[in-house]
Amino acid sequence: MATITCKDFLDRLESWMEGDLHSDSQAHLRNCPHCRSLVEDLKAICGEASNWRADEIEVPPRIWTYLQSHLEQEGLIRESRPAETAKATWFGEWFAALPRPVLAGAYLTLLITGAFTLSRPINRHSNEDLWRADSRDSTMPLRAQLIAEQNSFGSFNNANPAVNASLNQNLAIVDNYIALCEKSVQEEPQNEVARDYLYQAYQQKADLLAQMTERGENNR
Amino acid sequence: MPEAEAIRLAQQGNATAFERLYRLHNRRVYSLCLRMVSNTAEAEDLTQEAFLQLFRKIATFRGESAFSTWLHRLAVNVVLMKLRKKSGTETSLDEMTEPDEESGGPRRDFGTADLRLSGSIDRVNLQRAVEQLPPGYKAVFVLHDVQGYEHNEIAGIMQCSIGNSKSQLHKARMRLRELLHEAVRDKAREDRKAASAESGSED
Repeated sequence: MATITCKDFLDRLESWMEGDLHSDSQAHLRNCPHCRSLVEDLKAICGEASNWRADEIEVPPRIWTYLQSHLEQEGLIRESRPAETAKATWFGEWFAALPRPVLAGAYLTLLITGAFTLSRPINRHSNEDLWRADSRDSTMPLRAQLIAEQNSFGSFNNANPAVNASLNQNLAIVDNYIALCEKSVQEEPQNEVARDYLYQAYQQKADLLAQMTERGENNR
Repeated sequence: MPEAEAIRLAQQGNATAFERLYRLHNRRVYSLCLRMVSNTAEAEDLTQEAFLQLFRKIATFRGESAFSTWLHRLAVNVVLMKLRKKSGTETSLDEMTEPDEESGGPRRDFGTADLRLSGSIDRVNLQRAVEQLPPGYKAVFVLHDVQGYEHNEIAGIMQCSIGNSKSQLHKARMRLRELLHEAVRDKAREDRKAASAESGSED
């Protein structure tokens, strides 16, 4: 086997450290204490550096506090949507878990409801009616009205049990959504976005109940 | 919230998305800064600056490179700028290494033949030696050997070739060895001085 000089070994040291182990370099290393010492030193440096990596580093919380205030000052933060975030997390998970036919049914029902309610001004709730006052208590009369409407729906059972089941399922979906929105509003009463979502949820329920009432009346 | 969604929302100025991106990457960026400057107050400033630059530019992020690579490139540049200001020189990244005067390659001395570092390297010694590295060497050494990045990632962060990253790392390790040898020799000299002073006072 051809022997190499220390200079040759140094030339190959970079690739040696990257794991490219030439047999002639290995032979040189066996016979040369200087080069062996060099390689051992480099390995010791790498070893200590990787121990350093394992150190647990705690990031001081003040960094985020500072950043947040800077982002606000510079106008980089333009929107804050905790209600939307909540919807995107646990509501989103719950929504995703529903069977596709149920969602499709709910979606279709809402579309149909929209069409019905546009032609039925008596049962529609305008923004002013639903959210006239500025306090969070302003949703309470609407809530009571919706409960009364839902109770009255009980006397207008649809003749078709399949349609009844589908409508009740949709009602349950909207009720769950309302519960989530109410929770958000309770947590942040002054959050306009959360209140807006709650208003929209109530409106969905009002529309759905209106449609159910309409169907019930038609089947009497 | 997945990273891609957080990026999209942050581009619209969403506060929750900014925080999510910060929480996803703050540890690696802070540790990189801390290991590059070895000073917690400076590392905090640099981390803030890196994220601030990131959030200012996030609307321009088009996903051509990985988000983390982009962020680390910003962070490394912030740190290198700081180190450059500290040294008071206006030099390019390439010049922030220390080539061998004659060949442009790493210095080729072996150190003192009978002096081995094994066993004498500890965290403090290594940290002191890393502090003395030229900024370019320091960045590659910290990214690869301390932070654990691969050469292709470092090439993306430093905007250099993979070969260049490997060569810089090798030079950095060789320079560290020299610095550690110097430290060991200095310590031996001080010990000798102290011993002779002690024996002199006894006489």
